[in-house]
Amino acid sequence: MCGIVGYIGRREASPIIVDGLKKLEYRGYDSFGVAIIGSSLTVSKHQGRIAENANSAGSLQGKLGIGHTRWATHGIPNEINSHPHTDCSGEIALVHNGIIENYAELKRALLAQGHTFRSDTDTEVIVHLIEDRYKETQDLLSAVQATLPSLKGSYAILVIRNGEDRLIAARCASPLVLGVGDGEYFAASDMTPLIEHTERAVFLEDGDIASVSRTSVAIFHGNEPVNRPIELVDLRLEDVKKGGFAHYMLKEIYEQPQAFYNTIQAVRDLSLSPEITCISPITLVACGSSFNAGLIFKYLLEEAGNIPARIEFGSEFKYFPPPVGGTVIGITQSGETADTISALLQAKAQNCCTIAITNVLGSSVSRVADRTIFMRAGPEISVAATKSFVTQLAVLMQMVNRLSENTYDEILAHGHHVIEELLLMDFSDAVDLCMTAQSIFYVGRGAFYPVSLEGALKMKEIAYIHAEGYAAGELKHGPFALLSPKTPVIAICMPGKTYGVMISNIKEMKARGAPVIALGSAGDKELIDIVDLYLPLPGNNVFVQVLASLVALQLIAYYTAVALGKDVDKPRNLAKSVTVE
Amino acid sequence: MQAVILAAGEGRRIRPLTRSRPKSMIPVANRPIIAYVIDALIKNGIRDIIVVVGYRKEHVTRYLNQMGIPLEVVVQDKQLGTAHALQCAESRITGDFLVLPGDNYIDPDSITRVMAEKNAMLVKEHPNPSNFGVVLLSEGCVEEILEKPEHAPSFMVSTGIYSLTKDFFQYIRKNDITDAVSAMIKDGKKIQAVPADDWQDAIYPWDLLRMNSRLLKGLVPSREGEASRQAIIQGPVKIGKGTIIGANTVIKGPVVIGNDCEIGPNCCISPDTSLGSRVSMEPFSYIGNALVMDDVHIGSHSRVISTVIGERCDLGDHLSTAPSGELLEVEGVVVKPEFGAVIGDQVTSSPFTVYKNCIVGNNTRICSVHRLISGILPDDSMVI
Repeated sequence: MCGIVGYIGRREASPIIVDGLKKLEYRGYDSFGVAIIGSSLTVSKHQGRIAENANSAGSLQGKLGIGHTRWATHGIPNEINSHPHTDCSGEIALVHNGIIENYAELKRALLAQGHTFRSDTDTEVIVHLIEDRYKETQDLLSAVQATLPSLKGSYAILVIRNGEDRLIAARCASPLVLGVGDGEYFAASDMTPLIEHTERAVFLEDGDIASVSRTSVAIFHGNEPVNRPIELVDLRLEDVKKGGFAHYMLKEIYEQPQAFYNTIQAVRDLSLSPEITCISPITLVACGSSFNAGLIFKYLLEEAGNIPARIEFGSEFKYFPPPVGGTVIGITQSGETADTISALLQAKAQNCCTIAITNVLGSSVSRVADRTIFMRAGPEISVAATKSFVTQLAVLMQMVNRLSENTYDEILAHGHHVIEELLLMDFSDAVDLCMTAQSIFYVGRGAFYPVSLEGALKMKEIAYIHAEGYAAGELKHGPFALLSPKTPVIAICMPGKTYGVMISNIKEMKARGAPVIALGSAGDKELIDIVDLYLPLPGNNVFVQVLASLVALQLIAYYTAVALGKDVDKPRNLAKSVTVE
Repeated sequence: MQAVILAAGEGRRIRPLTRSRPKSMIPVANRPIIAYVIDALIKNGIRDIIVVVGYRKEHVTRYLNQMGIPLEVVVQDKQLGTAHALQCAESRITGDFLVLPGDNYIDPDSITRVMAEKNAMLVKEHPNPSNFGVVLLSEGCVEEILEKPEHAPSFMVSTGIYSLTKDFFQYIRKNDITDAVSAMIKDGKKIQAVPADDWQDAIYPWDLLRMNSRLLKGLVPSREGEASRQAIIQGPVKIGKGTIIGANTVIKGPVVIGNDCEIGPNCCISPDTSLGSRVSMEPFSYIGNALVMDDVHIGSHSRVISTVIGERCDLGDHLSTAPSGELLEVEGVVVKPEFGAVIGDQVTSSPFTVYKNCIVGNNTRICSVHRLISGILPDDSMVI
């Protein structure tokens, strides 16, 4: 769960690398470091945010270098543990994204041979192994080629050595792209740092090793040379800039109507056969927000299409007996979520048909799954998922629509109107109630239950207020004990089957003295009298009501976080894309 | 040279169209007014552009991001006046600069002329000067500015476009730029009056129709959508991609039609009409001299003329607009404009509704058939 950047070319490397790392901060940001080869190899490491230390790292001289932004998995975040790591001689420098599973045994063997370890990281074993092989071969590429087979786990690495005018890149189960410039090459965990320099990219496959010089790149799969095509990547720099918005998250919230519309249109003619038929069992695997999206899908599909679906966390999937046959759908924004990918691999091994829903072209999951459906969210920088969530829903809702004979075409075609409408609403009263709360309970029934889960997740991750989502009926089986005038409840209460029982649930909560904020349908006469704050939402169908209540909860969380002065885009302890299990 | 575009104010007199956007974001000939201002600056080689946003700032910022031009966005938290808005951008200004309202059209040549002068103002004659700052000139310089006088002594008005130097900020005491300009004149400084060629301001929503017709004159015809071979298309007509024009539809330009629209078959579109994106028009309907925003549905057998329609309206069949000129009171002023209808965002109406010289508020629902609507309907009305 880290980001790496490398550069070789005509320009000074360190500003390009530091700038690239800033763009990768969403992958983790507790420390960072840069290694540059100029007259000699120099390494600069820092704890904390890149913006605070950019000057000292960005002033190293040299036109070849690598950099890393870290999110600690092995060893606490400090300068010693941050990358790049060097070998005993200080000649070879390496950055790594991923986890080396057998590092403990490798480390014991290396220590026995007399290597000195400086850090507690798994990464440092790689650089010492390369050092050993280099002594034998005196060639960096063959040293790396000889090292990789002994590593177990996931990695994307960049290696440089003082005196060698090239950059060695390798990947296995962690993302890595090469950017092809004019007399210069780039390497990075994804396209975001590259797009301001080039739109030509080479996506490396698992097991690939690339030797990159100033003028050419040679790619090997193991020891065999291979050709990987140069792809044109259609991303605009404006898409990844904040462009006048106070936060990326707000920008992304406001991009949701367009993103939803684009996705609905793009997957309008989606054909689901032969992967999904009405009789094959459907299983979804996902983590975090994507799990909530999957759960909404389950409710909508079972209601509208009468097709049962099962949903599991990516990380828990392996502990259940796997489905035999049928279809497994993995949902991951980044396409790199390790838990989801390993679940899909396992499903494939069981002869299941696998479908990935992801936002990133060329991501690892699209190489694993039989079939990939892209959502059209565009790059999402804020750690809290917003537009990627809405576009996941767009894909999933369109799937429900296809599986129920296109009954919802008209509703989905106008889904973006409802989101646009929500963006005009004022949530300041709700924010006033939430910002002083110790805990907030989110409750809903049916498809609104996962919406409450998602709303609570947003509040937790950006406003740091303890929040829990519950199925409304579950509240009285325990959590009721926690209700007090200091614990506001946000209830989603829409007309329909769940309405009557939601009203009685709300009355029960009111009786315990908890202030209730209700998201209801516009024109509701009953709700307005029993709750403390009634927020009328547009929409008269469960599909659009889900969208409306979801965006309302995003905005409440966002404005609460802003009112409390939190760093909305980079919440503490979190990273956008979780590439470890 | 730098330029500051003021786009923070709502533009209350243009309600109900400003519910989801400030006046500078109202689409005219299918582009927000502010886009024309930015174009005119870019054509003059001005690359350092600062936009002051306030009312519905996220909507403005979102659009500016899509333009693909680097623009600096500055926020004015409370809309206290034009000089205050300009002060919000003060820290970014390094030397001479232009100030322009984001909600008025201006042609590039006038900008070329005003930017050649230090301390100058673009002025223009206007038939209704009382809505503007009226300027009295002497020897090509501004002698006095009278803000919205009841009885205007001259037809010459300020366009709100200035070329200024950095020391202008020391004259700002009150909240409006005109006060600061008056203070400068009192202090003995000269303000050149530069006549503008083409400047368009829409004070009231029906004024947008004139602006629309003016901006359609520059229309570059293009055809990205699909038109039936039986359709007749004459004059400059621009049809966006994904749009389908049905058989026997007649379009007489200048007309602009956005993306993914569905027109006809058997519709008629007369000159000076802009249709946004995803607009659908059912068969046997007629539209002319109209400004229709995105996602509007117009039922069959309708007649829509001299009308502005906001986003996401769903108007049932046999809709009719009847232009006439009756007395209306807008923001405390009584006016007698001639137009068919101004319909806000998200209005739905039942079949056979007649709109006669009326302003229909946002989210209005006309639930019963055969209604005659006239006068002003507030937002969220329900007609039963």
